[in-house]
Amino acid sequence: MASISIPLPLRERARTGLLGWLATVDHKKIGVMYMVMAFAFFVIAGLLALVIRLQLAAPNMQIVDPNTYNQIFTMHGTVMIFLFTIPMLVGGFGNYFLPLMIGARDVAFPRLNAFSFWISLGAGLVMFGGFLFGARSDATWTAYVPYSNKTFSPTIGMDIWLLGLILLGIGSTLGAVNFLVTLYTMRAPGMTAWRIPMFGWAMATTAVMVLLATPVLTAALIMLVADRNFNTQFFSANQAQLWQHMFWFYSHPAVYIMILPAMGIVSEIIPVFARKPLFGLRAVVISTALIGLLGFTTWVHHMFVSGVDPVIERFFMFTTMVIAVPTGVKVFNWLATLWGGSLNLKTPLLMCLGFLTTFVIGGLSGVMMASIPIDQYVHNSYWVVAHFHYTLFGGSVFGIFAGLYYWVPKITGRMFDDKLGKLHFWLMLIGFNVTFFPMHHLGLMGMPRRIATYAAGRGWESGNLIATIGAFLLALSVLIFILNVIKLRNGQPAGEDPWEGNTLEWSTSSPPPEYNFREIPVVESERPLFDARWRASHLP
Amino acid sequence: MLPPVTRDAQLISALYDAVLALAVLTFVVVEGLLIYSVIRFRRRRADEMPEQVHGNRTLELVWTVVPAIVVAVIFVLSVDTLGRMTARGTLSNPVAHVHAINDQEARRRVERAQPVDMVIEVVGRQWIWQYKYPGGDGVITNEELVVPANKNIRLDMTAADVIHAWWMPELGPMIYVNPGQMSYVWFNVPPGEYIGQCNVYCGVAHANMISRVKALPQAEFDEWYARQAAANSTATRPGDPEAGRQLFMNSSCVACHYIEGTKAQGRVAPRELTRFAAYPTIAQLEGFENNAENLAAWLRNPQAVKPGTAMPNLNLKAQEIADLVAYLQTLK
Repeated sequence: MASISIPLPLRERARTGLLGWLATVDHKKIGVMYMVMAFAFFVIAGLLALVIRLQLAAPNMQIVDPNTYNQIFTMHGTVMIFLFTIPMLVGGFGNYFLPLMIGARDVAFPRLNAFSFWISLGAGLVMFGGFLFGARSDATWTAYVPYSNKTFSPTIGMDIWLLGLILLGIGSTLGAVNFLVTLYTMRAPGMTAWRIPMFGWAMATTAVMVLLATPVLTAALIMLVADRNFNTQFFSANQAQLWQHMFWFYSHPAVYIMILPAMGIVSEIIPVFARKPLFGLRAVVISTALIGLLGFTTWVHHMFVSGVDPVIERFFMFTTMVIAVPTGVKVFNWLATLWGGSLNLKTPLLMCLGFLTTFVIGGLSGVMMASIPIDQYVHNSYWVVAHFHYTLFGGSVFGIFAGLYYWVPKITGRMFDDKLGKLHFWLMLIGFNVTFFPMHHLGLMGMPRRIATYAAGRGWESGNLIATIGAFLLALSVLIFILNVIKLRNGQPAGEDPWEGNTLEWSTSSPPPEYNFREIPVVESERPLFDARWRASHLP
Repeated sequence: MLPPVTRDAQLISALYDAVLALAVLTFVVVEGLLIYSVIRFRRRRADEMPEQVHGNRTLELVWTVVPAIVVAVIFVLSVDTLGRMTARGTLSNPVAHVHAINDQEARRRVERAQPVDMVIEVVGRQWIWQYKYPGGDGVITNEELVVPANKNIRLDMTAADVIHAWWMPELGPMIYVNPGQMSYVWFNVPPGEYIGQCNVYCGVAHANMISRVKALPQAEFDEWYARQAAANSTATRPGDPEAGRQLFMNSSCVACHYIEGTKAQGRVAPRELTRFAAYPTIAQLEGFENNAENLAAWLRNPQAVKPGTAMPNLNLKAQEIADLVAYLQTLK
């Protein structure tokens, strides 16, 4: 491969051991710390979900009292979104692989990067510490006013929750700035816009969304803190809708912040495992950008029953439905990439196929729910719980596991046990559908979300029991993944490029050295390593 | 979906089925292509190299335009349904349900179309729905709304504390009930009993905030109403513990109160009532001795006895208070 020599940056002697982690500004170590943190929170929030499912397994159960139940589902949602999915995808995969994939030695602002991580971890500890020591919020992850104001949520738990989210918002805003500058200024020579890997495009769009949306949430959170503690009246009781507008102006884009990087991962893996270039690269890039743009025009669809002007509701119904078009374009391009390829059915590809299957269901139910009359029936019901788990578990979590099976060999230098990986995949796919598919039915039967228990005789018993069984299958599949991680120690050495990858991270050792590349490669297409292999086999 | 009873619920149900059919069709196409690819194009030789296709403009156009058409169809169907729900779907149709928040114009439009037979004021509060009937008899019910069947009913709804939502799945669309704002619901239903519950998380007993609508033929309704109006003024017989127990267990009391071994599993109230009669005071209020007279005063209006208490004024009738006092005094 052609390359140019850029002198290695002068660095202090590399630290080792614990201090090497605590004091690091290396994007790879920071990425790993994000991943470990996020995975730990995933396990915790998953255990909370098991308590929820146990409680709902049968009518009139009281595994925990209603107060505790409400705190548990509030924490489940908050942790899964803010302390698992976003940090895993943006902080974890973004940090570790974005600089590697664009041929950079680090991010643009390494110290700021470290700061983003530590403030996020701090936020997680504040929030979770509060939870462990009894300062708990039960206002749900949406914290609707007036329930979340001082009158109805008088305890400090609500303030701790708000504080945690404010800190997380700061961390993620700074991270977005860092990624954008890195992508803009630090690409390897020859990497023009259309040669940026799809994951890079996904991260760029995500970073723009984080940058535009997060400050609105942070402002709303600070206003609510002020209302609660300094008697301001930003969200007075008779303006129930203002909080909802500000909250969803962030939290709907947040859905795309959680799905676009996962789509980026899938767009990297499918071409490698099909031995074909990504079909319609430009169409996929443009669709990604359009999803990012349209993602800012749909938030009112969360408020179709809140009391919004009917004309405005119709506008947001339109924009919400339109977003299905670029999403569909991406799905069909992935299918076209598979079509006529040479499919290597290893775990990373299986996870991508799982992503496609389940995410498409979630996307289609999203279009259904965008229809105002349908939303006025299913809003806040278990149908909605099914829908967003199909997008966020079926989409983001399958994408995350695809990424882990694909890239952990690069991070650790060891291969996973593929048989165990396949077992994990099938159990997760089955467990996922057994858990969440019956919830569509429960919603249509009139079961609201966020209820701590229910009476017998409303047709909800069997659906709930099935969902609970599915949840334990899901938990088992995650246990198998953890076992697979433990077994990594004895895994086959990965070598530089175990998958015949396309992108630059596969041109350096596994794990990569601190400086990533001895020499910075020169890029001539969107698949520099494919080019290199072709040259090696065709040129003397 | 639950069987739709009103015209609006029927419209929603029909739209749901149509859109679901389109969604299922799309899923089958996508999943079919995926499964076919996996079977047909799996790697058979380690060194096989497929043709390097980078894209196809015609195909891109096809899978942009076709989904756009499908989405446009869903949009038009939805707008059409909405139009029929809020315009023609007014009370001119015998079975209808219309809703709006703060939308006086919509309210007037519906009223012009056909007069409302009965307006009921509804207050949603943690964790109970209260229905105040017109007519100056002071008839107020909790949890269960009894209405004459096949009449045009309008609910003028507001919330006393946090946001609640009125959702009766069989009766059509749900609506938020916001504090300081008015939500209007119109419906006209055949005789029957319908059940739903609050659908915006509203606190510890959110799960227990049930709403029931019982539609009676006019004659039966009149009889029921007369009984309510009469029971309001005086108790007609001494308190009956069994009647009190039934009232307690079949009403929203159980949402907040706990009595061991019964349906009352609420954990909102600070003390359980399992051995209520053994407590020296009521509501842990210093000097408020636990006797029949004080208990009756408490049940009549808790806020007057202990301002700020979480227990709402349930507008209990004299007979109900007498029965409840008799029942609570058996809890030793």
